[in-house]
Amino acid sequence: MKVLTLILAGGRGERLYPLTRDRAKPAVPFGGIYRIIDFTLTNCLHSGMKQILILTQYRSFSLEKHIQLGWNILCTKLGEFVHVVSAQQRVDELWYQGTADAVYQNLYILQQIRPDLVLILSGDHLYKMDYRPMIAFHLEHGADLTVAALPQPKELSTQLGVLEIDENCRVLSFQEKPQQPKCMPDDPDSILASMGIYVFDTRKMVRRLVEDAKSDSQHDFGRDVIPRMVASGDRVYSYVFWDPQTRTPKYWRDVGTIDSFFDAHMDLLGQNPVFDISDPSWPILTYEAPAPPARILPIGDGVRGKISDSIISNGCTVQASLLVRSVLSPNVVIEEGAEVEECILMEGVRIGKGAKLKRVIMDKRASVLANRVLRCDEVSDKGFLTLSKGGVVVVPADSVVE
Amino acid sequence: MPTVLIVDDDRGLRELYKSELSLEGYEVMAAATGKEAVEILKDSRPDVIVMDIRMPEMDGIEALGKVVARHKNIPVIINTAYPSYQEDFRAWAADEYVVKSSDLTELKAAIKRVLERSRPKAQPDPKAQES
Repeated sequence: MKVLTLILAGGRGERLYPLTRDRAKPAVPFGGIYRIIDFTLTNCLHSGMKQILILTQYRSFSLEKHIQLGWNILCTKLGEFVHVVSAQQRVDELWYQGTADAVYQNLYILQQIRPDLVLILSGDHLYKMDYRPMIAFHLEHGADLTVAALPQPKELSTQLGVLEIDENCRVLSFQEKPQQPKCMPDDPDSILASMGIYVFDTRKMVRRLVEDAKSDSQHDFGRDVIPRMVASGDRVYSYVFWDPQTRTPKYWRDVGTIDSFFDAHMDLLGQNPVFDISDPSWPILTYEAPAPPARILPIGDGVRGKISDSIISNGCTVQASLLVRSVLSPNVVIEEGAEVEECILMEGVRIGKGAKLKRVIMDKRASVLANRVLRCDEVSDKGFLTLSKGGVVVVPADSVVE
Repeated sequence: MPTVLIVDDDRGLRELYKSELSLEGYEVMAAATGKEAVEILKDSRPDVIVMDIRMPEMDGIEALGKVVARHKNIPVIINTAYPSYQEDFRAWAADEYVVKSSDLTELKAAIKRVLERSRPKAQPDPKAQES
């Protein structure tokens, strides 16, 4: 059984601005040393999926560089690969019009590889999943398409695809981002939400993509192709990503907004993190430039800082400061007497002496001068800063808060 | 009278199709390459396109992609000497697939079928329902 994995990484990620100012969403740094796409790629490798194409079209340099540096680990001699495929205007003079169009425009690659199944993934979700049981489920049910899904709060329906299934997990309806969602029969406060993970029978998918290309649509899997497949009687099934015994949904996050990006970082912290990146049975792979081990320093006369519940990457120097519930990427410097609470500091960030930060995301190489205070209730004039609905302040890359 | 655009680099075949299809009552236009066909389509709107695959300048697979992107409603019949292209995913965007033959019966039938399919469904005549 030959499975080709396509990772869709062409979205603009506008709601993550300014973190997506110079990079595609899957290339946004996450969790200290990772990029968002590392989690999906790690899933692929742990699932034995080793023929992978990453489809990009938007500000892809940073992503391509990361893949080249960090993911050049497969054995091409065994037919394994991770290729970044930029939009090439192969069909006509248009960029990708939607997720379905991104795959349609690359039918020539599918034609060369001729897989039995196509696994379609999103490059901007955080979760740990072995795709093999889902593929087995797909084959057992003789499905044309299997959509991975999990229960989510009803309030999120306007951001998600919502499935209605029968007792055999066959999909009865698929609503994309509905205002009035169909809730789960045994739980009126929950919806069964699509995770944007699809297993397709290749031939059926090609037929449906060609039909979609010839119709007036937004050429999107969730909006157009899947609802049409369900309506036309194709065998569309749902694989539910939960613990079958307890029916507890497993961890999955779409980090589409500044607030969800921030919250997902907080999920990495605590004694028993909701999202555990230290699980030895599921190491997360990435590229990390060499840097010395982190240094935690007192001030000369012995005044010590206080650090708790934080992730500190290599190359960081933290000098006699308060550091609480924060995530530090490599080479962050926090000078003496600073107070940093619930902050995400990306590579090369510098916090000046005595500065006070709360709920701040600082993109690469940004700095805060000494004694400045940065938190949402203290930011009267936003200037170049972004303030999220949830009260998170974002400092763009290479900028200085004076 | 429906118009057929023949796209084929073989001049003899273009002539043959022209005369045969004219006899059937079709208007016939012709292009020698995919590129020429794409140019013609900027100003003309045939009812059906009969497309060879192996052609110089722009082959039929590429031209088919452009037709689908730019003129969604014009049906395309792939007409090639090579049956193996039927398995090419990119050729699946065509409405019909006919293997070339000196006997044009199959091609003519395919043209009829796609025209039938693309014609808007006739509305039932309310008077006929009354009677």
